[in-house]
Amino acid sequence: MSTVLQLKSITKAYGDMRALNGIDLALPGDAYISLLGPSGSGKTTLLRVIAGFEHPDAGAILFDGKRIDTVAPHQRGIGFVFQNFALFPHLSVAQNIAFGLENRDVDPVTDRRIVDARVRDIISLVGLSGLEGRAVTQISGGQRQRVALARTLVTEPRMVLLDEPLGALDANLRARMRAELRAIRERCGVTFLHVTGSEAEALGMGDTVLVLESGRIAQSADSDTVYNRPASPAVARFLNCYNLFAGRIEGGAFVGGVGRFALGASAPTRAASPAYAIRYDRVSVRPRDTAIAEDEIRIEANFVASEYSGAAVNSFFALDDGKVFEVESHLSHAAPETYAEQGRYALVWKREDALVYA
Amino acid sequence: MSMMAVAEQTETEPVVEKKSPGKALWLLAPGVIWMSLFLVLPMLMMVYVSFWTQTTFTIEPTLTLKSWVTFFTSDTYLGALWTTVRIWLIVLVATVVVGYPAALFVGLFVKNKALQTVLLVLCVIPFWTSFLIRVLAWRPMLGKEGAINMILMNLGITDAPIEVLLFSELSVIIGMTQIYCVFMVGPIAFMLGRIDTSIIEAAQDLGAGFWRIFRTIILPLSMPGVVVGAIFVSVMVLGEFATSAALSGRKVNLLGNIIVTQVGSLKWAFAAVAGVVLTILMGAVVAALLRIVDLRKEL
Repeated sequence: MSTVLQLKSITKAYGDMRALNGIDLALPGDAYISLLGPSGSGKTTLLRVIAGFEHPDAGAILFDGKRIDTVAPHQRGIGFVFQNFALFPHLSVAQNIAFGLENRDVDPVTDRRIVDARVRDIISLVGLSGLEGRAVTQISGGQRQRVALARTLVTEPRMVLLDEPLGALDANLRARMRAELRAIRERCGVTFLHVTGSEAEALGMGDTVLVLESGRIAQSADSDTVYNRPASPAVARFLNCYNLFAGRIEGGAFVGGVGRFALGASAPTRAASPAYAIRYDRVSVRPRDTAIAEDEIRIEANFVASEYSGAAVNSFFALDDGKVFEVESHLSHAAPETYAEQGRYALVWKREDALVYA
Repeated sequence: MSMMAVAEQTETEPVVEKKSPGKALWLLAPGVIWMSLFLVLPMLMMVYVSFWTQTTFTIEPTLTLKSWVTFFTSDTYLGALWTTVRIWLIVLVATVVVGYPAALFVGLFVKNKALQTVLLVLCVIPFWTSFLIRVLAWRPMLGKEGAINMILMNLGITDAPIEVLLFSELSVIIGMTQIYCVFMVGPIAFMLGRIDTSIIEAAQDLGAGFWRIFRTIILPLSMPGVVVGAIFVSVMVLGEFATSAALSGRKVNLLGNIIVTQVGSLKWAFAAVAGVVLTILMGAVVAALLRIVDLRKEL
């Protein structure tokens, strides 16, 4: 797959705050890439730098092999879909979509019939037929989202940047638009770089998932790898499905605040500070007197509360050092158990299931 | 909440709703009374008086069309009407030409809200002095031996003082544009400030250059501001008399000046005719301006 966009040691600071701290990145053509990061990790800044609304302090941006850092945003040929959609409030749906074709500096389309035909095509592609003449203030959030996307796609950019495109939609619509965005992208054959703060959205949509953490790319891999083998404790924490312990490695065991965990066979992943991570759904809750197998780790904790989410139940336990430990039980495996309030239980997992960072 | 309480609530709610509009109308009473007594009644009176019979020193409530006929057959009065319309149009265009770029700068290019406010306050500073001082201060500026002529002559750009600068229509236009410009800047800057930056960035991202964006996005979205500013400026300029009296040496007679002179010489009927004509003119101008944009959509 050819590289469409390449970033080389991009840095950007606002005063003392380093929003981007040496970003190196190569994005392939014709792919759906999700960029996951907590708020304040620099993801919107990164998109704005690529689009040209912000200038990097240092580094180079190459688009189709050409440097574009000094090119004005309107001449970059990169589409941008804003979180708030940024539709032109005084123009109709069709006029919004035709805007780029008619008004761009480079190669504007002056033939009314061609504009109309291309607007019609894109309107049917994004499923907005029948709404052409509506004011953009008279359509729903989901429809606005489609107008924003159609307005960008009709100009045929090689790449589209989407800044939390589903953030303004309600949960139901968000789930539906996920599949639609992927389908629309496949039909257009362009690269989408989708910024999101939601791990489920990033994992579910991206062919490649980039995780941004404190202005750096912490991991770049497919969803499965990011989920199962987060590259650092920070990525694991952000995925919101790992219990993390800080501590140190000592004689074949990880020593943390609640005890010694014997290590499995696999070598620890390199990281800035040692950490031990066990996924919520890898832990089982047992009565205190149950014996454990040779390859299992056991700690004790007090039950606090549980949360039912339909397909799973998440139970929260208080460890002896005061930290909260979360266990996820999928209801397809077994009927939900009820735990006694403040009851003491054994939390057990297999050594090999834990991820160790050193 | 018990079932009783729920039932009670649903029963009482519609009653409350029915009552409220009638009660709320009382809020309008002071305004309506004030406006009826001091705006509507005097205006009706003005229309009535314009049909009274005017003799040199007295006025009688015998209805006649004489004052109206005199107004529309006299070159003086028609000339004043034409001058009023001409000066209004020129000043309106001048305030837009001078005010729009300033508003564009303040509303769109100054990102800092505090600085925006400071700049708008700067525009209002001339209003901290009295109207008379503001108008009369133009005399040492524009006069034959005024600052502008002195500078031009000292720099050798002109040999003799430019006389048209003061006591002419030009000086009235210069003075009015300066005084009323701020009423144009304010509403436009306000509308421009309301434009979401991401809309302009979106237009940029779609490939449009600055002038395209200005023409297709910024200008249409700021039009309500231009219209509100134009209404302010029009209403004030059309009713003007002091600036033209002070800066034209009584050479430029606006309808406002006619009214002042007629009232001064106790010709109430003529003054009333000019007043009615002026009111109709203002009403027509405001109505025409309101047709340009639908202000209801903006509020």
